[in-house]
Amino acid sequence: MARLFERRLTPADSPLAVAGTTALALIVAMVLTSFLFISYGANPLEAYFALFHEPFATMRGFGYALVRASPLALIALGTIVSWRSGLAYLGFEGCFVLGAAAAAWLALLTEPGATFGPLPPALFLTLAIVVSFIAGGVWAGIVGVVRARLGGSEVLISLMANYVAIFVLQYLVSGPLRAPGSQPETRQLPRATWLPFILPGTRAHAGILLAIAAAVLVWVLLKKMPLGYELIVTGFNQLAARYAGINVARRLVLAAFFAGGLGALAGTVEVLGSQHRLMDGISGGVGFVGIIVALLARLNPVAVIPTAVLYGGMSVGADAMQRRASIPSSITFILESLAVLLVLISDVLRYYRVNPSALWSRGAEAAAEEAPRGTVGGASE
Amino acid sequence: MKRTLEMKNIVKRFPGVLANDRANLTIQAGEIHALLGENGAGKSTLMQILYGFHRMDSGEILIDGARIHLASPRDAIALGIGMVHQEFMLVRPFSVVENTILGLRESGSPRLDLRKASQKLKSLSDRHGLALDPHAEVQSLPIGVQQRVEILKLLYRDARLLILDEPTAVLTKQEKDQLFAVLRGLRAEGRSILLVTHKLNEIMEIADRVTVMRDGKSVATRAVATTSERELTRMMVGRDVNFRTEKSPWRRGEPLLQVSDLRVFDNKGREKVRGVTLEVRAGEILGIAGVDGNGQSHLAEAIMHLRDVKSGRVLLNGADVTNLSVARHHAAGLAYIPADRRHVGSVTEMSVADNAILGLQRKHTRGIFRSGGAARAAAATLVERFGVRGSGIDHAAGKLSGGNLQKLILGREIMRGAKVLIVEQPTRGLDVGAVESVWRELLRERQEGKAILLISAELEELLNLADRIAVMFEGRIMGVVEPTAASAEAIGAMMAGVPAASASRHLEISAEEEAHGEAL
Amino acid sequence: MNVAHILSSAFLVTWLAASIRLAGPVLLAALGETFSERGGVLNLGIEGTILLGALASFLVSLFTGLTWLALLVAMMVGIVASVFLAWMYVTVKASQVVTGLVFNVLALGIASAVYRRVLGDAALPESIAMFHPIHIPHLSDLPFVGPALFGQTILLYVTLALAVVANFVLFRTHFGLALRASGENPAAADSAGISVDRIRYVGVLISGATAGMAGAYIVLAQVGLFREAVTSGEGFIALAIVIFGRWNPLKAAGAALVFGACDALQLSLQVFGTRIPSQLLLALPYVVTILAISGLFGSKAVQPASLMSPYIKE
Repeated sequence: MARLFERRLTPADSPLAVAGTTALALIVAMVLTSFLFISYGANPLEAYFALFHEPFATMRGFGYALVRASPLALIALGTIVSWRSGLAYLGFEGCFVLGAAAAAWLALLTEPGATFGPLPPALFLTLAIVVSFIAGGVWAGIVGVVRARLGGSEVLISLMANYVAIFVLQYLVSGPLRAPGSQPETRQLPRATWLPFILPGTRAHAGILLAIAAAVLVWVLLKKMPLGYELIVTGFNQLAARYAGINVARRLVLAAFFAGGLGALAGTVEVLGSQHRLMDGISGGVGFVGIIVALLARLNPVAVIPTAVLYGGMSVGADAMQRRASIPSSITFILESLAVLLVLISDVLRYYRVNPSALWSRGAEAAAEEAPRGTVGGASE
Repeated sequence: MKRTLEMKNIVKRFPGVLANDRANLTIQAGEIHALLGENGAGKSTLMQILYGFHRMDSGEILIDGARIHLASPRDAIALGIGMVHQEFMLVRPFSVVENTILGLRESGSPRLDLRKASQKLKSLSDRHGLALDPHAEVQSLPIGVQQRVEILKLLYRDARLLILDEPTAVLTKQEKDQLFAVLRGLRAEGRSILLVTHKLNEIMEIADRVTVMRDGKSVATRAVATTSERELTRMMVGRDVNFRTEKSPWRRGEPLLQVSDLRVFDNKGREKVRGVTLEVRAGEILGIAGVDGNGQSHLAEAIMHLRDVKSGRVLLNGADVTNLSVARHHAAGLAYIPADRRHVGSVTEMSVADNAILGLQRKHTRGIFRSGGAARAAAATLVERFGVRGSGIDHAAGKLSGGNLQKLILGREIMRGAKVLIVEQPTRGLDVGAVESVWRELLRERQEGKAILLISAELEELLNLADRIAVMFEGRIMGVVEPTAASAEAIGAMMAGVPAASASRHLEISAEEEAHGEAL
Repeated sequence: MNVAHILSSAFLVTWLAASIRLAGPVLLAALGETFSERGGVLNLGIEGTILLGALASFLVSLFTGLTWLALLVAMMVGIVASVFLAWMYVTVKASQVVTGLVFNVLALGIASAVYRRVLGDAALPESIAMFHPIHIPHLSDLPFVGPALFGQTILLYVTLALAVVANFVLFRTHFGLALRASGENPAAADSAGISVDRIRYVGVLISGATAGMAGAYIVLAQVGLFREAVTSGEGFIALAIVIFGRWNPLKAAGAALVFGACDALQLSLQVFGTRIPSQLLLALPYVVTILAISGLFGSKAVQPASLMSPYIKE
């Protein structure tokens, strides 16, 4: 007799099933957050309107959405490369900070009279990207080496390394790189080092283009290159990877390197495109929000850009909402995290097959049909 | 008091599989009852139900005519039913006594009283001839002793029915004899033993009655004294099985693989391969016989350099490959098909197509990019040629049945173009049809001049396929013999540690010695 | 600032007192987390739970002035949070790392929203009711070690007592044996009649209870106020201390002290004046902990074998 919810052997993994359950999770998250809005005496529909209107219906707001989206997307891409290789790297806050520091330091070196002096923007940008990518890559790569050779937990080590990096940043902006004055921040970086603005009338900068390029590159890597195949196999089953001749230790370190580099690029983009100076608190938790973006994009590089823009937009909208409806912007944290948790819960739903027919059929004939004759796989192996 | 346990019309379904199809089983007190069937016949599932691990879909279980309800192992334990699983249920860092009292609350107090438990354990172990040290850490004990711990756990709870699932799979001959002596003692006490096995000779040796299962059903129950191995085989398999293969004559070519004086240690610093020397020639299958755990896996892994070699050399076609990476081994023409097809030989989450090129990802390329087309074509060819039946090459490899998965892995390694194949336990867990396919493939490769190192715990397999059989025991090659009907005895002796010279003497000795109960 | 200064008794005593003081909350959280991990569940969410406990204790102390009530409420909040977490880990069998991490963000959002909702822009009093260092007659008056060892807040002694109790429960009771078995070999535990899921729930709830209390500890015995960054990674430190202490409550106490000593070093050195940048000193405890859990000193071998693997019956 077929039951209403019948457990499957493996989860339904068609793109439709995955997208469907994600969308369902988002909707439920929004419904739950509505209750929160109500407790503030606000109308949920108005609140959601405020949340989405500013970033997606106004040009200015959309520009800001793109600005917020760029570092999120880069961090999400870093998450995807490392997590799909089996390395649960969580140190993106640290990489972000280091990337920002490297780029700012380089930029200060191009001030007139400084070591390099003014450089052509294209040259400077290339240099900044390369240097910060390597800086972040090495920072994360160390964690990869520790995991591959010593077996240390990359989860906790990368989490704590974040704090070390943040302290280094605080040291830099209070000491060697500090601008005159009492604020823990640097001088404004030379205009020539700023990322070009791409949407007139807004603050949207070329960082989003860099993020899009990175998304394409990550997709190509994972889908189209033998190295990507090896990373993915390593992520699924390290033992099988070894037996297939893949050098697992090297792949893990490489995955960490790429992840760290992408995380550092996020910091570079933020400092050269948006903040134009290095300061304490420049990261603001973006390292973790970026991971959430990756999770909502289901670790798929193609979905990262739209998801990041959605999130960037929501954080812009949340500020607007706070101004207009006095609802604290931290509500977005609640909305985001609820969405991910619901996605995780909904993943379990994909393990079940819904049989609406069970609601009205009482027949028992379904039982006999399912039994295969002869050879048996699965259960007894 | 006479106690009878009956399982009637048990039905159990798993997703996609009907494991028990109205199975029946009756056990009397004071008997050793064997449950015989091939892999996949449903014996393990039936036992899991009896032990409360799984719930049956329908059917009833009666003790002395009264229905009992088994919702969990706790209920089974309370009713005096105990089980020793094939994979021991022991917590490795715990001591023997800690493992024994796990889950038991004898006094009302939450405190552990290890001292009292140790005393009780010691007296039990002395009484039943199962000597061991209660405070020893389980992971330091040899497998045979670990099994004793498992049995003592049951006796500690005064189990009246002991279920043993394939207990001799990991034992040497002496350990098996000791186990059987213990079982006879337990039977004399009025306890019942349910022996789940597929080893016919052991059933004939120790059991009183035997129930044969096939395809989830109970086919028949017989008293052992009134039946024969042949009849049991026929009932188990459903037809007369003639395990005889057509093997072309042995054409010995050049030695392709040479291993000289190989020494390998495991992660804990124990020597697992103690100076093994062997060679495999083109067009030959060299079998390695031995009970699992005598260094065969370590040998295979060391040859492929998946494991470090302490000393000794591995030569492929004369070239020293001892310390080269696995990828280089592949490139040089060595391929390895490991024993665990689901967790090591393949990546079950990936598609069949992706698994078909595992290790070959750098071959099917166009410039620096993977060539999806070439890869899929290779996968399609593989599936066609090796008869891999499943839902399609884009579906997860995990959905394939054991036999088809094995064919996929075998096909992949063969199509690599390797000249030397190391194959480990290729037909474990496969049904008869799949076994025949795999054997046919291996013989075909042999015909084409490949050198094959076949590691197997199934003597039947080696006798059929191998041109020569080397026996490994505790990391050493005890001897190399040619597969004849008579040498099966010698091989058995060597598997238990008797060196070749005495073993071949055993070849000449007739059944008289056996009748005198001469232990070796 | 020279070596002679550092070795002076004044410095050492200040340092010792501060080390013990700072080690308290982190040890408390680590004790509970040890139970969770021994059962096989990694609860990264204790960071967020500590934050929620801190907020709860702050509010209760602010409005009632009753410190013990605040502690109790914080513990209850921790338990409630961990019921949800345990459900995600054990029943839903979601990824433990992801769930814990995301929960921390959720907790941050909730804490921020609740704080603003309840207090708005209201002016806060100078300080709230707190736990103060106690005075044990005779012992606290001992020269040098008196204040350091015997002049801490009562919460520290409660925490130390809990460490002893935890050690006993984990290694000398049936519950502890069953819990450890569930973390090492859940199939064996199941086969012995233990409900693995149920015992893992209990482990997570214990970690939630101590995390909530640790939050109260920070607010009521250390800082006396509430900010979003008041916990600043103490939860993650506690997780590292569990590994550092090899999943053993008494060793965790030692590990917590080492961490506290590093943390205190920067405070004490600052007090005594030094040229080493303060931020680098602040980073020291984290660096030391990273080294301790990097595997250089062989921590992998002792880890509960089934940690982070949900138990699914075949």
